[in-house]
Amino acid sequence: MPLQTGSLLGLEHVYWGILIVIYPYLSGLVAGSFIVGALSKVFGAKQFEPLAKLAAIVTLALLLIAALAPLADARQPSRFLELYTRPHVPYAPMGLFPLIWTVYVLLALAETYFIFRQDNIYLADRAAGWRAVWHRWLTFGWRDVSPRAQRREHAILVVLAAFGILLAFAFHGYIGFIFGSLKARHLWSNPLMMPLFIVSAIVSGIALMILAYVTVVGGLVSRQAVDTGLVARLMNLLMWTIFVDLFLDLVDFLNAGVQAYTTGPTYAGFHAIFMGGPLTFMYWGLQLGFLTAAMILTFFPMVRRSRLGASITSLLVLVSVYAMRYDTVIGGQLQPKVSQGLVQYSPPWLGRDSVQTVVGVFAIAILLIALQLLLLPWDQTWIEYWTRHSR
Amino acid sequence: MPSEESQTPARADEFSRKDAVIKGVVAGIGMSLPLLLPRKARAANVPPSSPHLNPAANTSWEGWDNPRLDVNDGWNEWQTILNPNHLPIYHDQFQRIDQAHPKEHWVMVIDLRKCVGCQSCVVACKSENNVPLGVYRTWVDVYQTGETVPDPNGDIVVNGSRYRQEVRLMNVPKLCNHCDNPPCVNICPVMATYKREDGIVLVDPDLCIGCGTCVNACPYDARFLNPVSHTADKCTFCVERVDEGLLPACVTTCVGRARVFGNANDPNSEVALLLAQYPHVVRHPDFGTDPQVFYIGMSGDIATVDDPEIQHMVFTYTSNADSTVAVR
Repeated sequence: MPLQTGSLLGLEHVYWGILIVIYPYLSGLVAGSFIVGALSKVFGAKQFEPLAKLAAIVTLALLLIAALAPLADARQPSRFLELYTRPHVPYAPMGLFPLIWTVYVLLALAETYFIFRQDNIYLADRAAGWRAVWHRWLTFGWRDVSPRAQRREHAILVVLAAFGILLAFAFHGYIGFIFGSLKARHLWSNPLMMPLFIVSAIVSGIALMILAYVTVVGGLVSRQAVDTGLVARLMNLLMWTIFVDLFLDLVDFLNAGVQAYTTGPTYAGFHAIFMGGPLTFMYWGLQLGFLTAAMILTFFPMVRRSRLGASITSLLVLVSVYAMRYDTVIGGQLQPKVSQGLVQYSPPWLGRDSVQTVVGVFAIAILLIALQLLLLPWDQTWIEYWTRHSR
Repeated sequence: MPSEESQTPARADEFSRKDAVIKGVVAGIGMSLPLLLPRKARAANVPPSSPHLNPAANTSWEGWDNPRLDVNDGWNEWQTILNPNHLPIYHDQFQRIDQAHPKEHWVMVIDLRKCVGCQSCVVACKSENNVPLGVYRTWVDVYQTGETVPDPNGDIVVNGSRYRQEVRLMNVPKLCNHCDNPPCVNICPVMATYKREDGIVLVDPDLCIGCGTCVNACPYDARFLNPVSHTADKCTFCVERVDEGLLPACVTTCVGRARVFGNANDPNSEVALLLAQYPHVVRHPDFGTDPQVFYIGMSGDIATVDDPEIQHMVFTYTSNADSTVAVR
């Protein structure tokens, strides 16, 4: 039997690699995009109504993928059922994963059903061929479109969205707490971890929805269909959430990067890793620099109303939030627990826990989004096209 | 033409469906008989002089792949091996262990004044537990404390000035502390790791999903992900030996009797007497984990913080760490 030690030589390692970096990243996108989609329902912000269907599609796809990342990172992924049969609740933060994730998937499926129900009925009546069969099946037999049924459906959607926002906070808050609960890692053991993760999740979710709206609607429907007023309102929302995120980053820096205000090992680790160490550019340049640049870009009405400007701002935010996840997950593990110096890490290109796996996970996400765009009635012009051209 | 041949099968090859069912059932029972019968521990039928055990004749022999292991001799029945007496186990709320007043509470006392740094405990542990290459259940780090001071009669000459080293070497054996408040056990999402009522913290390799949370949660880095079993792994205090009344392998092999193992609940045991009579420290008391491996004669600096300005790690097993980058 050939020896398969991989990178497991020596005592100190980065045990959680790049897949655990994208795990909070994906779940943050889920939580953020769900909250954006729920704005029109829960808070009555009718101007965000056109986003609701797209947000439901993105949320469902990324939610299914979010479980793949930690599964691919676990060394014994075939034993995932143990998480359901013997979860260590409430003592282990990760023991909550199956409960929250399963409820969230069920909720996202229910939301997808109700949000597309009326259009499914429309297509079931007017389309032909397999499309009629498919959309008739998607209605699950409830084909009542009377005003009373519509009011009832709206009430269900409001309840689902409100419960979903709570779940979004729980889903992402508990991931922050997975890191915050590990007192052995000085840079993780921090009460700020939960709010920091939740706020950056909302920031990245809004940015993703701007990007998805501009690219999907602008690319698959028409450029004129992109409502720049809606993009501007999203950019306004983005500005305020980035402001809160940067404030929390500042508090985090004061509690970890200033020698007088923090414990010795925390300061030593922060100083060695982020101030002249291997992740200096990742922290100051990508995480904080890109986020600040994005916030400054949102100040200009010209950028807010421009499709390109909003997309570039959103890309900056998405890169910045990815860098934040990387700095948290990898940076926290670069500080050794029992020895001196720093642990070295660079993600492998191929193999287990590598860039290849990450690309695969995102490819599945894009596939799921594409499948949903083809099989769910998300846009009025596409619905009209399907009614005319299906056979 | 093959199609014609398939349409006219030979009469002699035909057999009845009933025969086939009977044969299948008999063969199935025959093959599963070894699994159905009660299994007893027995030595594999391989003579000690077998060429399998000769590394020159058998190049695939790499220690853990021991050809003398028999699948049916019970070596992988972890529930039996790890807890043969079915002691109560705890996954959380460890204060209940004290309230249960257990008969035994296994601890280790390491007298650093007697440790010569021979690393034979590391070898004994590897040998006893089939620990794969590259990972360790116990290891001995070597620290150098003190500094180089100017001395006109010193033996170190740098740029015409003479210096003398006022340093002291410390060998610090490290292993799982079997903490009384183990954070690694608390955060296991599937309750695969547990603390036995006699204090030993164990991992069940049949349940572990290999998520690595416990490895990150241990402040002493005593856990690792086993590259062969792909589960979390750690020191077990040689639980299978302790249950049979033997000492852990590292204690048996220690040349200076630096490692002492015993029952802290017995006031006449050697560990209880040592702890009563000598000042002792634990590693990283600041984490509040209440470690149960005690050190006599260890500097508090080494116990609390690995600071190169206070003590320099001259030898360690952490080959992946780049020591040229100072933490501080």
